[in-house]
Amino acid sequence: MIRIEGLNKRFGDHQVLTDINLHVEQGDIFGIVGHSGAGKTTLLHCLNGLESYEEGSVKVMGQEVRDLDDKGIKLLRRNMGMIFQHFSLMNRKNVWKNVAFPMEIWHMPKNQIRERVDELLELVGLPEKSHERVGNLSGGQKQRVGIARALALNPRILLCDEATSALDPRTTISILELLDDINKKLGLTIVLITHQMEVIKMICNKTVLLDQGVIAASGETEAQFLSPSPALQRLVQDEYAFIPDGVNIRLKFPRHIAKDAIITRMATDLGINFSIVGGRLERYRDHVLGYLIINVKSQDFQIVTDYLRNNELFWETVQDEQHPS
Amino acid sequence: MSNIQADLHALYDIMVTRIPGPTLETLYMVAVSTLLSLVLGMILAMVMVLTGPKGLRPIAPLYVVLDITVNVLRSFPFIILIIAIIPFTRWVVGTSIGSTATIVPLTIAAAPFVARIMEASLLEVDSGVVEAAKSFGAGNFQIITQVMLKEAMPAIVLNVAVVAINLVGYSAMAGAVGGGGLGDLAIMYGYNRYEMDTMLAAIIVLVLMVQGIQMLGNFFYRILK
Ligand SMILES: Nc1ncnc2c1ncn2[C@@H]1O[C@H](COP(=O)(O)OP(=O)(O)OP(=O)(O)O)[C@@H](O)[C@H]1O
Ligand SMILES: [Mg+2]
Repeated sequence: MIRIEGLNKRFGDHQVLTDINLHVEQGDIFGIVGHSGAGKTTLLHCLNGLESYEEGSVKVMGQEVRDLDDKGIKLLRRNMGMIFQHFSLMNRKNVWKNVAFPMEIWHMPKNQIRERVDELLELVGLPEKSHERVGNLSGGQKQRVGIARALALNPRILLCDEATSALDPRTTISILELLDDINKKLGLTIVLITHQMEVIKMICNKTVLLDQGVIAASGETEAQFLSPSPALQRLVQDEYAFIPDGVNIRLKFPRHIAKDAIITRMATDLGINFSIVGGRLERYRDHVLGYLIINVKSQDFQIVTDYLRNNELFWETVQDEQHPS
Repeated sequence: MSNIQADLHALYDIMVTRIPGPTLETLYMVAVSTLLSLVLGMILAMVMVLTGPKGLRPIAPLYVVLDITVNVLRSFPFIILIIAIIPFTRWVVGTSIGSTATIVPLTIAAAPFVARIMEASLLEVDSGVVEAAKSFGAGNFQIITQVMLKEAMPAIVLNVAVVAINLVGYSAMAGAVGGGGLGDLAIMYGYNRYEMDTMLAAIIVLVLMVQGIQMLGNFFYRILK
């Protein structure tokens, strides 16, 4: 289905992917796991031509992606659905129209679209929400719409970019069950990238571990967990306390505060960059509390914490377990 | 009759006799130039979004040329622009005075402004949504018209109100060089003949017009949002 050989990818002189080799077979749920900035998204984008590559070979359904012209890329994308961490739905369309949109783009006949949308909403369990505005849905429901949209054109491969990272554990499980179901029912090949080990454990039959653009381990998921490589051990043990450099800050919010909004606002207000290292929603007595861990450069630490204080958010710094400071 | 009553009476007279014609002229100039500058500016904005540095199909030389052109046109003081393009205006409408002639510089002044704010609104659209559209095979033109324009529509409507209000102001300024409309009226009577009543009446109507446009903009914004 997908065969990558000797793939190298650079942004300027920053080497993001180094000598990637992997093989995804028909019907696989193929997991790519790694820390933030490991190059997971970049790798996924090379598969459907959202990102170009200079060296190596990426063959999807027998075609070298780099050699495709505009038309070829579009046809390739038609056969590859994609879902996103932040759902990326159109806010000004309702659920039904969001799912119908890819088919409208491909000028499919109206009655065929109507049938297909209803069928898809049934499949993802949202038939009664079809006229709801996207903004009124919960995260899990939004991702279900995202999945329905990704399946609209009957793709043979589904690409998932951190599809459950913005969801709480229970919703994560239900979305993963849906993906597993789709994989079994429709025989869809799924490539899934994540930084959450639980996701890999739950549904992936094969896994590669990406560490700073290099494949650190690969193989059947079970085998990898039975005899974990050092790289995998590192990832499992300190999922969130791994600090490449800079400072990790744990932000805490009650669930009703939209964390994405705060994070995006902070990035634009301060004009600095930081990466999201991890996050989770936790049950705390009667409430659910969410937290998000971001990594900021040491020199930005002061302004970020000032900003958090001014905005009355709860935060703490996260200690690196291996090098306590 | 008291003084105030007399004043009000005089104002009323002016409102009935002198105001309606120029008001229609102003509305005509503003409406047509808003429409034309929207069409021109929107096309420009779409090309800039397409070819810009983070665009769907970056073409640096073209973008740089457009970018500079827009900046240059925007930095012209409007009154200078009117005079500078008189030959062009004559060539287009056959004359350089009156409200139809004024539409030409109004459009040329507003189009780059429209281009800039529409470019900003289109770029404001969540890049994830654009990426999603690409991921199911949408073409660049489809992305601009069916994704970006669609998602940016509320912001665009507010921008249209801003443009129309600016054009009310510009059209009044054009009165200084015989452009017709309420500005012309205010300058002719208020500035040249010291008839403050007429000037006041013209200003009241202009204020109401601006207010009305903004309310209309806000109304449609709320509906779309
Ligand atoms: N368009 C770009 N230009 C330059 N550098 C980029 C670009 N996109 C990504 N990078 C860099 O490439 C590296 C890998 O990015 P990528 O988004 O693939 O990581 P990731 O594993 O998906 O991380 P995350 O878990 O945070 O999404 C990062 O260091 C990032 O800064
Ligand atoms: Mg990523």
